[in-house]
Amino acid sequence: MSDLLLKTPMEREPLQASFSDASNPIGLNGIEFIEYATSQPQALGQVLEMMGFRPVSRHRSREVLLYRQGEINIVVNAHPDEARAASHGSNTPVISAIALRVRDARAAYAYVLERGGWAVPTHAEVMELHIPAIHGAGGSRIYFVDRWREFSIYDVDFVPIPSVDQHPPATAGIHFFGIVQYIGPERSYDWIEFYQELFGTELIPDEQRFGIMPKGKLLRTPALDPAQRFMLQLVEPEPLVHDASERLQRIGLGVPDVLAAVQALRALGVEFVETPAAHTEPRGAISKTYLGSVVFELVHSERSGDRP
Amino acid sequence: MRTPAGISRTLAAFGMDTISLAGPLEAKLDAMAAAGFGQVMLKANDLVGHPQGWRAAVRAVQASGLRGTGFQVLRDFEGLSAPATHKLHQYKVDIAKQMLEMCAALGCKVLLACSSTSQHASADLDLIARDLRKLAMLAVPYGIRIAFEGLSWGRTINEFTTAWDVINRADCPNLGIGIDSFHIVAAQTPLDAIDDLQADKIFLVQLADFMWQETKTFEERMTTARTFRVFPGEGVHSEQLVQLVLKLDALGYRGDYSFEVFNDDYLQMPLPFVADRAQRSALWLAEDVLRSALPPPGDLRLRTA
Repeated sequence: MSDLLLKTPMEREPLQASFSDASNPIGLNGIEFIEYATSQPQALGQVLEMMGFRPVSRHRSREVLLYRQGEINIVVNAHPDEARAASHGSNTPVISAIALRVRDARAAYAYVLERGGWAVPTHAEVMELHIPAIHGAGGSRIYFVDRWREFSIYDVDFVPIPSVDQHPPATAGIHFFGIVQYIGPERSYDWIEFYQELFGTELIPDEQRFGIMPKGKLLRTPALDPAQRFMLQLVEPEPLVHDASERLQRIGLGVPDVLAAVQALRALGVEFVETPAAHTEPRGAISKTYLGSVVFELVHSERSGDRP
Repeated sequence: MRTPAGISRTLAAFGMDTISLAGPLEAKLDAMAAAGFGQVMLKANDLVGHPQGWRAAVRAVQASGLRGTGFQVLRDFEGLSAPATHKLHQYKVDIAKQMLEMCAALGCKVLLACSSTSQHASADLDLIARDLRKLAMLAVPYGIRIAFEGLSWGRTINEFTTAWDVINRADCPNLGIGIDSFHIVAAQTPLDAIDDLQADKIFLVQLADFMWQETKTFEERMTTARTFRVFPGEGVHSEQLVQLVLKLDALGYRGDYSFEVFNDDYLQMPLPFVADRAQRSALWLAEDVLRSALPPPGDLRLRTA
């Protein structure tokens, strides 16, 4: 994530954070992909393209498309059953899964099941990869993927779209920063415990915040490569607001220069929220809500988004 | 003069258990609502024993307008994760998941788990705590809290004090204690230990009285608990119940009180008869014991206007 995540302003000496097995029990190493489920894949595709993503591959057996920019993979799942189940019958796209990169998917899966992860059935067809998954927030899934070094899962399950660059560069240095999860009232500590128990996340002090949307509790995942750590932000409803629903609400994207990124994305057609409560500034920016639910947040973060 | 709305308001913190009434689920819910109760403690049999299937039972609960106090009961879960009993543990995890799914479908926020009676379960409190922690983790995605209750005939945990010990060892935000007055009185646990609890970690309080002065053996406790409990105020332990409720109130407990009254006689009585006795008991606790039913200032103004 940003260098802010690696260097704490208070430290006197360059003491390294611990990256031992104890603090990273499942060998986590960032995000492999984020999945949206939707019954309107074309409309969502247009929004993703405005954000700089490009469609690169199609799934072999299902109505699923892979979008990519830099190191970020977004899977758009329009398989009718999946879209209906994940969105609980609503028409708007939902973030239906996060796929975590781990050192050994089988070992990670066994570890989380032993501690109360809830196995969910996944439906691999013949010759497709079986990717283990557990229940996450609001009916979403958390996948565990270990085929990211020598070859990628997309080489097996996806067919490249002909004549399309399989590795489109990131717009304005966009890279993955974090996920914002909406949670029910007084549920922060349940989820903090859940992520800590299963993934070894650590709670960031309330004084330390990134971007322009500071609400809630912030967790940081461990990673084998410190640069692959990412944030989970848990946001409860306002007091007296009756919305107990839980869901993965938005993706946070890191950019080295927020104002330049906003300018570049505006040129692609993205609109940003500009109100007294939330507006573009060097620390961050937030996009308009598209299709009733799709929001992207930009956060200042130095890491380059292009593949090494 | 009591109005139905006034009674409902007074009874707000109290609910009946479906186990106290005979007959189909819909009739039980009707009888509770007619007596002014706004919540109901449900059990798995209410759902799976429904003639039209458990989804229909969920619809019946939703249609009744009654809120689910909680869902019961997961038995003999903890203490099985050691290698020798791991198969049994995995079996119990499957059972727990089904219970959690039914609990979530009902919109109940609390699943009651009671302490193990199994001779196969470990007595190691840390292992027990680890298993309970796992159960709580399973419940997190569904937004369910686990209320762990010490049965007075539990093998290792048979008093609320030991239950509280393992809950602290497990140290998990959605794992708390379920208090059942019957087990406290039957095991003769000193009520002073209530002061050691933390109000926001009490996820459920179940109240019942009974007619015997003493239940010395586990067998006696079991038989009495399962066939001859009565509503608070009807038995011979009213004073202890009053002390318990006042202590919980002083501790800051503001959650629900549910009547966990297993009674073979009540299971052959007309439902309104039983529900009226429950109502009388709840009014006594609310008005005479907790004095929680003083009319709010707004009501006073309306009456004098």
